[in-house]
This record gives sequence, structure tokens and C-alpha cells, in this order.
Amino acid sequence: MKDKQFWLILGGITLAFLIYWFAGHPFFNANRIFMFVAIVAIGSTLLYNIRMAERGEEFYLRPIPGLKAVEEAVGRSTEMGKPVLFVPGIMDMDQVETVAGVIVLGHVSKMTARYETSLNVPVSRSIVMKAAREACRESYMLEGRPDMFNDDMVHYLTDDQFAYAAGVNGIMIREKPAACLYMGKFYAESLILAETGNSIGAIQIAGTASQAQIPFFVTACDYTLIGEEFFAASAYLSKKPELIGGVRGQDMVKVVVISVIILASVLRFLYETWDIGFDVIKLLTVQ
Amino acid sequence: MIWKRQIPIFIVAVVGAITLFGWFIDQPNIKSFVDDDATQWYDILASFAIILGALNLIKLQLQKVAKKKPGWPYSLVAIGGFIFAITAGFIVKGVDDSVAVWGAHVTTEGTVFKWMFDYMFTPLSATMFSLLAFFVASASYRAFRIRNFEATLLLVAGIIIMIGRVPIGSVISSWFIMYILVLALGIYVNSWKKDKMITFGVVGAGIAIVTIAGMLTGWPLDKPGIFYLPVIQEWIYYYPNVAGARAIMIGIGLGIFATSIRYILGIEKSYIGE
Repeated sequence: MKDKQFWLILGGITLAFLIYWFAGHPFFNANRIFMFVAIVAIGSTLLYNIRMAERGEEFYLRPIPGLKAVEEAVGRSTEMGKPVLFVPGIMDMDQVETVAGVIVLGHVSKMTARYETSLNVPVSRSIVMKAAREACRESYMLEGRPDMFNDDMVHYLTDDQFAYAAGVNGIMIREKPAACLYMGKFYAESLILAETGNSIGAIQIAGTASQAQIPFFVTACDYTLIGEEFFAASAYLSKKPELIGGVRGQDMVKVVVISVIILASVLRFLYETWDIGFDVIKLLTVQ
Repeated sequence: MIWKRQIPIFIVAVVGAITLFGWFIDQPNIKSFVDDDATQWYDILASFAIILGALNLIKLQLQKVAKKKPGWPYSLVAIGGFIFAITAGFIVKGVDDSVAVWGAHVTTEGTVFKWMFDYMFTPLSATMFSLLAFFVASASYRAFRIRNFEATLLLVAGIIIMIGRVPIGSVISSWFIMYILVLALGIYVNSWKKDKMITFGVVGAGIAIVTIAGMLTGWPLDKPGIFYLPVIQEWIYYYPNVAGARAIMIGIGLGIFATSIRYILGIEKSYIGE
């Protein structure tokens, strides 16, 4: 309750929604009210924590070895005089994982600019190429090394999944990068890429929310950012308070989700066994 | 500056908010924007952007050949393939209009494009895909090496799942598994107590108990169920595995939501380089 302005605005919005609701809520899909409330509650929690972080409140962030290793990997490439290979997945910018991958690329390119290490970013979608180029260009500018940036460090290979895997494998075998980073959305090509990277002795860091590919990356890479860790990467690498506040907000929501799971299990048990209460599954099911 | 900063943030915020809250609004225009129009806009943009990608690809390959960079002969193959695909797609059909008109020729038998797709592209893709079999083997070898408790757990679970899911798994008696467990218990007791007599006693007693129980019950193949491989693998697959997968899913869902909210509210601006 430290942020009076936040609570005032939230209260105002809630009051306005209640008036709208009791006025007959035209155009509102009433079957989805539970989801709507959940989204507003989660969004508010995130916002509250972001505002707290901006006001200077310090939050503890659990150290993630994979993210600590990013700088180490770039440093290793510098020492060995070899490039850093960054693979932002095989999907387009309409996938949030690709967006998260491009964000991490921005941070990695800052490090390569700082250490004067060459960066190679083969992409499989033209829009990703443009976005990744912009991210790299800005990073090199911010680090005061625009002379080191060239458009071709982010280059297009192909849209096709296995042709892209073949192209990236070719780059790995020919250039032998000292560090390979896989950050984005991956499918079956994940293991082909990671095993080839392993065979050339590169330090490998992967980050993905593609659940089926996580085991492959865990097996073949030195570090893997699993799901939420990957989305939190931007906050960890930038150390910006507003992003760190968001990560803390996510953790608070997770506590609430765990509580809801336990409570729903108890309610379900009571309903199924003794017909006490109501069918909580019906309430929680997305309509 | 306004074109590179404020305008993109404004577009992201408006379109993001409409997409998110459009799901709750029962209004056909918003519904059609979220479901159809927005995705079609994206497809149109992506179609134009492919030209940029293709130009970038051909430029880099030509540069490699011109400067005779390492591996330049591969670039010749890439350029040749590019020109051949363009020719087969836009210039030479290989059949009359009566057989296939432009556009339909990409899926019609007998055209140059379909020939290229069936006899060059598909086998090459299949070759890359089939490499996975070898990579899975090498990755599994590394993952299953017994280094610590977690790796051992992974190895045991992997073996149970693999054997339990094939026909031979269902003919392995649960009593055989119990004997193996007794021997494993013996190994554990031996490494713990380091006393031959105690180990012998534990193994002997275990074998005797299992044998007597088997003789009394008539050695049924699938009883007790907790030692029958198909039952164990099913339990591992549907309970610990699903629990772990769902925990990761919840984390991913929250991560995606938090990232989206940061974009919609303009908190995360890395995509425009900030």
C-alpha cells in the first residue's frame, strides 16, 4: 500500500468497470469475466512492482548461471579471436520468443561492441533480420562503436527450417565460433544446431520457451534458460529497475497461482467426494 | 526522432491493447480485426520483407564469390540454386497452359518447379531431418552418463520409459524387476555399510521374500503392478512428467504475459533499440 496514486487509479478503474457491469455491460463477453479479472489482477501486480522498483525499492534477483555466462562466453570469444554466433530461432516477430531473443541480442551486441568481438547473426525471417539489425545498430551506437557495426553481421539465410539448420551448421563448421547462443523459438532443428555447436567445442547458451526443445538444449548446451528465465533475461542483463520490478511481479503472481492450484484442488476434492461447494474447474476453464 | 520512437511505441500499445482486450469484447468488427485483419497485415508486410531477405542473401553470396572468401564454391551452389528456383517459379513452367496455369504450376506434376521440389528440395530436407537420429544418439549418450544423482535418475527413468513402451516391456515379469531391485539394494547397502555379511544378509533375505511371495501368488506377470514396467512407465509419463511440464508451462505463460504487458505499456523498448 506504498503507492497511493496507483491504488487511486486502480480503484477508479474498478469503480468505472463496476458501473459498466451493473449497467448491463454492453459488448462485453460475460462468459470470460473470470479471465478478464485475472488479467487485470496480474497486470496490476506487475505494474505495482514496476512502480516500486522505479521508486528505488531494491529487489533480490536469484542469480541465473546461464545469464552470468553470456558475458563469460563473449569474453572467451574475444580471447580466442573467434566470432560469437547468435541464433534468434526460426520463427517470425509475431512470436514473443523471437521478440525476447532479439532483446537478448541487443544486450549481447553491446558486449561484442565493448569487447570488439565479431558477431554473426544468421536469421530465417526477413522481418527478424530488420529488427535484429536495428537492435544491433543501436547497441553499437550506445557503446560508442558505430564503426564496428555493419548490416551484414545480421544476415538472412532462408525461411525453410532444415535449410536454415544446414546453413547455420555450415557457418559453425567453417567459422568455428567460440560461443553459440540460441535464443528464440525452436523446433526439431534445436538438437541439430546444439550438437554441431558441441562438436566444435563452442561454449553454448540456449534460451527458449519451446517446451519440447528444452531437454535437447539442456543435454547439448552448457547453460539453458528455461521458459520464464529466458523472458527475464532482459531485466537481468539491463539491470533496469522497471524491468526487475516486472520480474518480481511475475514471482508474486506465481505465488498466487500456486495458492489457487492448492485451493482449487481442495475445492475439487470436496465437490467430487461430498458434493460440497461448486465445480471450480468450470469457473477456471477458459470459455 | 518521433518516427523512430514515439510512433512505434504508440502503434504497439494500441494494437497490443486491442488484441488483448478484443478477446473480451463481443463486437464483430473488433473480432474480425483481431482474428483476421491484424494477421493479414502481418502476412502482407512479411511478403514484402522477403524481398529484402532474398536480396541480402544473394548480395552476401556474390560478395563471397567475388572476394574468393573461404568456402566460396558453396556460394556458387547457393547462387545457382537461387537462380534455378526463380526460373522455375517465375519464368519456365515446363508444361503448357492447358496442363497448369501460372500459380498452379507449383503443385502440378510435370512442371519444373514440382520436379525441383520433389527431387531436390524434399530429399535434402529429409536428409537434414534424418541427421537427428544420430544427434539424438550422441546427445542421449552424454545425458545418460552417470555423473551424479540427477543423471542417474534420468538414466533410470529413460530406460523404464523406453522398455515399458515397447512390446518386450510387457513380457518382462514384475518379479524379475523385484529381483533386480533387491540386487540394487544390495549394492547400496554394501557401499553404505561396507560389510559383506550385512550385504549378504540383505540380499539373501530380499531374494527369499520375493521368491516366497512369488510362489504363494503363482508368479503373475503383471502383479504387483508397481513393479510392472508398462505400469511404471505410464505413471512416470503421466504424473511426474506432466507435473514438471505444467510447472514450466505456467512459468512460460507468465513470462509471455509479463513481456506483452511491458510492450503494451511501453516499459520495454528494446525492440526500438532503447
